[in-house]
Amino acid sequence: MHQHVVRAMNVFRLIGLYFKVNLASALEYRASFLLQAFGMALNNGSFVFFWYIAFSQIGGRIGGYDFNDVMFIWALCSSAFGASHILFANMNSITRIIVSGELDTFLLQPKDVLISLLCSKTSLTAWGDFLYGFILMALTHGGDVPAWSMFLLGIVIGGLLMTAISVTAHTLTFYLGDSSLIGGLALEFVISFCIYPEGIYRGLVRVLMLSVIPASFIVHIPLKLARHFSPGLLLLLFAASAAYCGFAYVFFYRGLKRYESGNLIIARM
Amino acid sequence: MAAIEVEGLCKVFRTRIKEEGLKASFRALARPAYKEVKAVDNISFTVEQGEILAFIGPNGAGKSTTIKMLTGILHPTSGKVSVLGMGPATQRRKLSYRIGTVFGQKSQLWFHLPPIDSFALLGAIYDMDKAALKKRIDELTERFEIGDLLKTPVRKLSLGQRIRCEVAASLLHSPDILFLDEPTIGLDVVVKHRIRELILQMNREQGTTIFLTSHDTSDMEQLCRRAIVIDQGRIILDVPVKKLKYDYMNRKIIAVRFTSEYKLSELKGITPEKSGRMGARLSVDTRVCSIEEAMRWLIAQGGVADITVEDPPMEDIIASIFEGGGRTLNGGR
Repeated sequence: MHQHVVRAMNVFRLIGLYFKVNLASALEYRASFLLQAFGMALNNGSFVFFWYIAFSQIGGRIGGYDFNDVMFIWALCSSAFGASHILFANMNSITRIIVSGELDTFLLQPKDVLISLLCSKTSLTAWGDFLYGFILMALTHGGDVPAWSMFLLGIVIGGLLMTAISVTAHTLTFYLGDSSLIGGLALEFVISFCIYPEGIYRGLVRVLMLSVIPASFIVHIPLKLARHFSPGLLLLLFAASAAYCGFAYVFFYRGLKRYESGNLIIARM
Repeated sequence: MAAIEVEGLCKVFRTRIKEEGLKASFRALARPAYKEVKAVDNISFTVEQGEILAFIGPNGAGKSTTIKMLTGILHPTSGKVSVLGMGPATQRRKLSYRIGTVFGQKSQLWFHLPPIDSFALLGAIYDMDKAALKKRIDELTERFEIGDLLKTPVRKLSLGQRIRCEVAASLLHSPDILFLDEPTIGLDVVVKHRIRELILQMNREQGTTIFLTSHDTSDMEQLCRRAIVIDQGRIILDVPVKKLKYDYMNRKIIAVRFTSEYKLSELKGITPEKSGRMGARLSVDTRVCSIEEAMRWLIAQGGVADITVEDPPMEDIIASIFEGGGRTLNGGR
């Protein structure tokens, strides 16, 4: 047990170290950093306007959600996406890193390859996504403690799930060759299910959203928990997230055994 | 005591093959065909602790694949590898605390940050405590003369400055073995010389075992006492560098340019490879005629505008090893 705690602490320490270096690297270009972060927040803001008009035209609820519910899933999706890309921006580059042989650098170091690889880059625009969720929550949920609690927990779980989806899709590169297209689309595909009320999906799609496409675990279940807390549902959320992340981790390490390092000229950005 | 022991090591890559044209692309989609490429083919050797070994060969010979199997990046298809008593494929993380690597083509420094930031992160990755890391950085800064570079973003450093910082970074955790894969690639003569001096110093003072791959013969000449020559995945020669130099590297190329039309007298050991109106490329057999002698002779011809002395390319040396029966020289290893 003690060993597991030490290992977990080491992982957090490593993530923290990379975070500091990445942030310092991003701040080398302060103007670009601020412009990109605020640009992304503004871009996201336009969708609030769309939903506001939709609700005022239709009135009442859409797919069982009111305006504040939709804002909750938007805020959560945006901040979870932002958090995952602030900490693990390399999730989008896994295929390139595998194909170019850049993975060598991580394999030569005595730390977890997947975590080092994911952490070694940050995204500037992700800060905009991350902050946008908080602003939206502050505007629509004020001091609603249960909503804020689930929002914060949801950022961690959603961020990990989004990372797991990207890792799984990009890991296909070890098995099938260049999977950058699948890798790029997988997360976008899941997110497109996250930003609409759960009630508009029916039957098989609903089942898929609780299995292959874990959209419900990213936003819809945290919303349910924020409105009507249930320990069972919370446990299910934890279990499902652990299962997804565990699968992605094992799948990556299985694939890593098939790694055939390349020899391109590489600089760490 | 052996630092590296390799026995019957093989690495086979499976590569997809496709005929030319669009039709073939569709055929390959439905029925992909593969061929196996033996990148490393049954090689065996030992490197003693404190030794500097040159592992040389032309491009695509299997040098990098071997180094990647020795460092745990690639899993061997078959054969045994032991580095400092550990199996790189199964004990990669444990081994990485005791080895350092410099890949001339891959940087471990953050491009947008000054080297000091990368050093701090690498120190933490290797679990060094802050005081020990600071002491080590100070030591390496002095030795590699990188004090002025530590706070400059890597993107603003010249290639030579960057490589000096790369080598320093790879030595932060005081490794027992340093693997250098083409460390001098793209560097000018002065910087190459400086890097080689630093490597030799590390070996002398700290007993660091050096495993160097290069296709630059002068790296080997100036650094190593023993050389393994590899071609098409197989060891074709495992001999002291002195013997290799005497037997196979006994030729230099002199490119000379004159200020006007010229006529060369004859000198034993010098054969023109190519002659133009204003210049020539001459092959010098250094067993018969020393470079000094050749230079004196050239100057005596009068009207010399420029002279360049080059080593013949590695491919030519490999060819001469084959002509000289290199495969049998190493006793079938």
